[in-house]
Amino acid sequence: MRWTGNGRGLSREAIVGLALAGAYLLFTAVFWAYPFFWLAKLSVTQWRFFDQPVFTGARNLVRTMQDPQFLGSLWNVVRFLAFYLPLAFGGALLVAFGLQQVGRGRAFVALCFLLSNVSSGVALSLVFLKIFSSTGPLNNALDAAIGVRIPWTNHPTLAMLAIALVVAWKFVGYYGLIVYSGLLTVPRELYDAARLDHAGPLTRLLRITMPMLNPQLMMVLTFAILVAFGLFTEPYLITGGGPADSTATPQMIIYETAFRRLQPSHAATMSIVISLASYVLVVLARRLFEKKVVIA
Amino acid sequence: MRTRLSALLRSKTPGGWAATVAIYALALTWLYPFAWMVAASLKPTPQIYTTALFAGDWTLDNFRFLFATADKLDRPFLQALGISALVTLCVTASVLVTSAFIAFALARLRFPGRKLFGDFLLLQMVIPTTMFILPLFVLVKELGLLNSLAALILPFMMSGWGIYMMSQSFRAMPEEYFDAARLDRASLWQTVARVVMPLNTSIIAIVALFTFTGTWDNFLWPLIAISEADRMPLSVLLATFSKQYGGYAGPVMAGAVLQTLPLALLFLVFRRQFLQGMALSLK
Repeated sequence: MRWTGNGRGLSREAIVGLALAGAYLLFTAVFWAYPFFWLAKLSVTQWRFFDQPVFTGARNLVRTMQDPQFLGSLWNVVRFLAFYLPLAFGGALLVAFGLQQVGRGRAFVALCFLLSNVSSGVALSLVFLKIFSSTGPLNNALDAAIGVRIPWTNHPTLAMLAIALVVAWKFVGYYGLIVYSGLLTVPRELYDAARLDHAGPLTRLLRITMPMLNPQLMMVLTFAILVAFGLFTEPYLITGGGPADSTATPQMIIYETAFRRLQPSHAATMSIVISLASYVLVVLARRLFEKKVVIA
Repeated sequence: MRTRLSALLRSKTPGGWAATVAIYALALTWLYPFAWMVAASLKPTPQIYTTALFAGDWTLDNFRFLFATADKLDRPFLQALGISALVTLCVTASVLVTSAFIAFALARLRFPGRKLFGDFLLLQMVIPTTMFILPLFVLVKELGLLNSLAALILPFMMSGWGIYMMSQSFRAMPEEYFDAARLDRASLWQTVARVVMPLNTSIIAIVALFTFTGTWDNFLWPLIAISEADRMPLSVLLATFSKQYGGYAGPVMAGAVLQTLPLALLFLVFRRQFLQGMALSLK
């Protein structure tokens, strides 16, 4: 096989390269570009899976933006983040400083926190459904300790807190690993210099560690926002979106609209709006909190 | 021995020791849901909520129920396990082979539009995949593939992420290997299978592991594409079983153990590759 060009037309190497890239592009055309085209088409037409699509222009968009259930699900993303962000950041910092603290047992501790991240979301959602139930182990322990039972899945705010706890349990190990990788890059001389200046532990944490961790914390924030908009398995299996749609996420509403109420055009518009909303929120978060830290 | 112990004790301040113990305790607490799941799967259903974690009459009845009795409730768990395994292995094998060859082209072959191709892969990875689920359903329906294993395999046979990850690693290989392969007149297949793949086992393991776990635990897509119980993968069959027969807590937990076990085992055996893979995605 000759890999080099011979000056006439495409070389053998270029032909093989084009063929391999072409195979992927063909696959992409069928399973990515064509669905993309359908999504765009659905968003401006009226269609019910069986009839011919009828062009309706911006009517889907207007209808989506006035759909109280859809707007409620967007508000639920905000409510989820209100619980999730403190849990995610607090947990990530705890895991990161913990990993730094334990020394030799580091790998073991990391594995304990990461097992939840790589194992089954479906299975563990079912486990938490039982753990949070009114007679479940969590309520039994609370009942034995302080004599109260918490109706986790029957109260709108508690149900959202329960979902946030489960999702945080799943991702905190990964976020902690991200922050830990940032901790490793902070130069020790900075702390030594700060000690010479009589800076206390709290000052060192707030003025050196946290600013130096900004890139990693931004990464955690970005992942947390994407998780919030993509949430489906946990609320679908644990609360079923209830009580009264208080934990219904955008992905659940899209699923319901498309496959239960058979309004794919409406659902297509929703999924485009959701993607744009998550993109805008990520960009906004970066503008607000991203800092270029330069050691002068 | 005693001097070593006292040296170990003095290596940290008392506060440092307290923090260390606390973090170990927290790490073990993180495993509690797994422990509870396994314990519940081995107890008779009435004892699940009433006994302490390690108390109760241990039994394998829940697993027996899952494999024998559940069939009569139109919930063929053994078959679902087979479907999950088949689909996951097909997707993983296909992603590995296609990614290796296409990544080799992207990283090492000169062809017109190569830079553009790389940029396109990056663009694809930024666009959220959940957006495509609805139109993908329309496509699979048009192809007449609903309720078939092809619906679970075909759309995932290639992965832009896999190609991108492998190409990053292939790019770092010294050119001498390829000079030698050229001198020996190695074919494309030989170059990739005998030279590139053996020298990049760690990235290949990473792509394989993350593809496997992602496919095994995929839920939303098979939930939409498969509606007949005898074609469902384990994740969906388990969820529908739990929705309909939630009272059978023991068998549900036994199913959860089945769904979790392959992933947990893979993670424990290949923990180094998993950690490496996570560290790679941080760059």
